[in-house]
Amino acid sequence: MQIDRNMNILVVDDFSTMRRIVKNLLKELGFSKFDEADDGSTAWPMIQSGKYDFIVSDWNMPQMTGIDLLRNVRKHEKLKDTPFLLITAEAKRSQILEAAEAGVDGYIVKPFTAATLNGKIQKIFERVAERKKASGR
Amino acid sequence: MKEINLEHVKQLLSALESEKYDEASDVLDLIVASRNRDLLHQVEEIADNLHETLDGFGEDAKLLQHTKQDLPDTTERLQYVIETTEQASNKTLSSAENISALLETLADSIEGASERKLLEEAKNEITEIMMAQSYQDLTGQVLNRVIMLVGSVEQSLVELIEKSGISLDEITLPEQSKEAQKAQEMKGLGPNVTQSSQKQFAQSQQDVDNLLDDLGI
Repeated sequence: MQIDRNMNILVVDDFSTMRRIVKNLLKELGFSKFDEADDGSTAWPMIQSGKYDFIVSDWNMPQMTGIDLLRNVRKHEKLKDTPFLLITAEAKRSQILEAAEAGVDGYIVKPFTAATLNGKIQKIFERVAERKKASGR
Repeated sequence: MKEINLEHVKQLLSALESEKYDEASDVLDLIVASRNRDLLHQVEEIADNLHETLDGFGEDAKLLQHTKQDLPDTTERLQYVIETTEQASNKTLSSAENISALLETLADSIEGASERKLLEEAKNEITEIMMAQSYQDLTGQVLNRVIMLVGSVEQSLVELIEKSGISLDEITLPEQSKEAQKAQEMKGLGPNVTQSSQKQFAQSQQDVDNLLDDLGI
């Protein structure tokens, strides 16, 4: 399936190294438009501008966690369908279930590989396409 | 149970058997009172111990030193590890990005299939190098937790010490003897990472050279 490589992506992580790694991987996968935020609290106003087609976020951040950011997005009337991928070192089953319940589209545990990221992105956008088709009918 | 007097219990039984309820009630009060006294005594003992422990802080220079100096020092050292690994992984990432760009340029001038394959392999290796840098995030998160824990232990100790009436600010730590200091230095002190240590350390190779120059070396 064809993914729009021109979509706007927001990468949220409090560690600059990890933001850089994720951006490089996304670049390799053919994406080119990224912005960065170093915390959920700085990401949230950026997301509210409505610019982003895809959010890739860490969980554990000092001010606002990734899970709270996800909840904010899902609660927002206009933004609630934005695809949201968590990339995190949090790996407790209860946390993963919590994220699923909050409406996460994908969950990657650090450390991860480029292939894992690619696979998850494929899957997320296949589902987005299906959802669109279903609601268009 | 030794605080319960057998005689009292016998009196209580005989009073009950002869239906002298007032007397029974008095004896029961006696039994309860002696138990309460014992409990009070135990609480007093605990309080005395606590006071002794708190008073002992003044003499326990090691604990004071840990609280005043070593715990903040530990935090600073861990912070140093986070910063140094962050710098190192950023440098590695920059180099990997640069190589990636170089390979892209090279790709334009390469035509043979086997060369293309080699180029592809090289790109994959660079991705591996980039991915490996995620160690900085993972170890950084662990260290941040330890820093928080050390901070909270430090805080509790400071509160406890101040409750004992000692002011941490007024404490002067015992000077390490010249010999002990020297012995420690000869063992090696590790990188110069804390603010207090920086005063005594050379800051750069230039500093070292200047120092040695002054000595004619």
